[in-house]
Amino acid sequence: MAKELTLSGCAAAAQAVKMARVDVICSYPIRPYTAAMMELAKMVNEGELDAEFIHGEGEHAQLSVVYGASAAGARVFTGSAGVGVTYAFENYSPISGGRLPVQMMIADRALDPPGDFGSEHTDAMSARDQGWIMGWAETPQEAFDNHLINYRIGEDARVMLPQFVCQDGYFVSHIPGKVKIPDQAQVDEFLPPYRPGRHVLDPKQPCSHGPQIRPDQGAIMDLQRAQAFLDLPPVIEEVIDAYNRIMGRSYSPWLEEFMTDDAEIVFFLMGAHTATARHAVRHLRERGVKAGLVKLRFVRPWPSEQVARSLAKFKAVGVIETSTSYGGSMRGGNLLAEVRASIYDAPKRPLTTSFMAGLGGDVIPLQEFYWMAGKLLAAVKAGRVEKAVYWAGLEHEDAPAAGARSDGAPVAVAVH
Amino acid sequence: MPVPVKTQNLPPIKKLRNIPKEEMYVPGHRTCAGCGPALQYRLVAKAAGPNSILIGPTGCMYVANASYLCTPYRVPWIHTQITNGGAVASGIEAAYQVRIRKGSWEGELPNVIVMAGDGGTSDIGLQAMSALMYRGHDVLFVCYDNESYANTGIQTSPTTPYGANTTFTPPGKAVPEGKKLFPKDVPQLVIGGHPAVKYVATASVAYPLDLMNKVRKALNYKGPTFLHIHAPCPKGWKFDESKTIEVARLAIQTGMWSLYEWENGEYKYQHRPSKYKPVRTYLETQRRFAHLQEEHIAKMQAFVDARIKAPGVPVSVPLPGPREA
Repeated sequence: MAKELTLSGCAAAAQAVKMARVDVICSYPIRPYTAAMMELAKMVNEGELDAEFIHGEGEHAQLSVVYGASAAGARVFTGSAGVGVTYAFENYSPISGGRLPVQMMIADRALDPPGDFGSEHTDAMSARDQGWIMGWAETPQEAFDNHLINYRIGEDARVMLPQFVCQDGYFVSHIPGKVKIPDQAQVDEFLPPYRPGRHVLDPKQPCSHGPQIRPDQGAIMDLQRAQAFLDLPPVIEEVIDAYNRIMGRSYSPWLEEFMTDDAEIVFFLMGAHTATARHAVRHLRERGVKAGLVKLRFVRPWPSEQVARSLAKFKAVGVIETSTSYGGSMRGGNLLAEVRASIYDAPKRPLTTSFMAGLGGDVIPLQEFYWMAGKLLAAVKAGRVEKAVYWAGLEHEDAPAAGARSDGAPVAVAVH
Repeated sequence: MPVPVKTQNLPPIKKLRNIPKEEMYVPGHRTCAGCGPALQYRLVAKAAGPNSILIGPTGCMYVANASYLCTPYRVPWIHTQITNGGAVASGIEAAYQVRIRKGSWEGELPNVIVMAGDGGTSDIGLQAMSALMYRGHDVLFVCYDNESYANTGIQTSPTTPYGANTTFTPPGKAVPEGKKLFPKDVPQLVIGGHPAVKYVATASVAYPLDLMNKVRKALNYKGPTFLHIHAPCPKGWKFDESKTIEVARLAIQTGMWSLYEWENGEYKYQHRPSKYKPVRTYLETQRRFAHLQEEHIAKMQAFVDARIKAPGVPVSVPLPGPREA
């Protein structure tokens, strides 16, 4: 029977993977994703899940094991965080180029240095150009749902692509929330067993996977992978429709809007901090500010048209960045670069700027959202934005130079 | 725990004329004339037969073989990075274990065979190879050893012999012998630290029946097995391409290579010479050793003398390491 449990993001992911009847799992410990594998190890050893559970010798091996297992026709699962995500990097392009529907959970963690357990999207975002589907969950419920949704999208014969199913470390991975768990029969109806096509390592139908090509054969193969992403949106919409129907959910595939009907300024963000942003928006509304928010569900494929259409309604958009790109065109704002590119050709464009916030895994307090709203309102008044990126919490008049945050707590500044 | 589903018993091949005619590694590839690795590939694939999956980490046998639209493999083959042959093989084997168990694939568990070069085995691929052996997957790991990173232009690897001239160990005024280090003993790495492994053997392209029967014996085992195959490289070792077999045989006659099996803790030698020829006669066949002086040859002879006493006996290197010299 369908039931409601209180689960962390890690435990929710493990539940979904179990209900997907996964065949091969490859583990390696790194916080904060580890608990998902601990849950799965228990399920396998208790006999609740019939799967091969392989202890990888590192993240590179994890991705290598699931590459082989997926090529041999198995439904596979692996996961990682932080420097584990970057250690495995060599394998991402061979997996997507091999059109293997591998699923990898990422519970974000800041990269070194310095050693930091906190959540930051830079680990996963550094792999966003490797040909994988990628998106974030705001809650354990959304994490549960995204794992199932992504298996069906990735394994669709029209798609055949791997998926990074991301959730913020700690904020989602470790904070329990209510999760509606469907019946196994509902999951089986939504997600049939993985049936690889001709494209499988099988002695009954020999074929060679991943041979060498000449440079003049390269462009067409890149085009095929690019085309797969161009063909993806209708499949994603179809799959999320089916999921909503079978599970009784109401996900919109690309963007989720909150209090946007008459909004003038909006926050644009993804993942866990959306929860705080909702509160900030409500409080701003109480003070008469016409604020709203737009939540992004997929970074790859990036929904350019939907972003342009949605944001055209507003006067100013503040993009909350939880990753950074040193020396980039937006002075660090990864999402702002995508947002501005999306609206460039639009007939009506809002003012856009970005806020570095939550880097290192820090919480983004309500005060910081109010401060950001102030910057957006000032931009609306002036008719222009001051700059592409603000470092929220470090640019208050009394904050950065003085080494203090909005709440007066000292900022730890380590000079190396 | 994986349920063993392998029941096959590949019979030994008694005589050369009984070798299967069917080729699993077919002509049309781009390896050099006289290529030792290509020859061992043909023999391994033939011995294994059609119910096999080959795993090809980057190396000569990928770069010179696996050209798009005309690969020479008649059984399923997959490229892996040079780093991860052992890990990819683990995943393939696990997939077949679970698919057979769940009924999504019917048949005998395929022979899963990694065909890795010496770098993909003992250097950058060591971690994945060791983990495969540790976890006990039903996989044969073959190291075809041409004693260098050959397809990148002959650079030293951990199995390149002392004194070899490679493009990363060129002999010069300050370093007259070229390579100063003595090689890793790869079978001993496998035997020494992996209790799940029950069968390890060495082989040579000069003894094809011995090689093929070791492949079959390894594949009949349930669990991980390892085969270290000496595969001379005319281009890298600098000898005439008509001499591959001669050079390979001379390696055994001089003690530069030994043929043995390690089975459940017991060693057995094959084709062991009753009297070894001096190492010098082997070195003289290859221009990679042409620069060596008498003192270097003496060091090499001393190393070989110690090593041929018995496999598994630790050999101390009669030289200071490069940092101490």
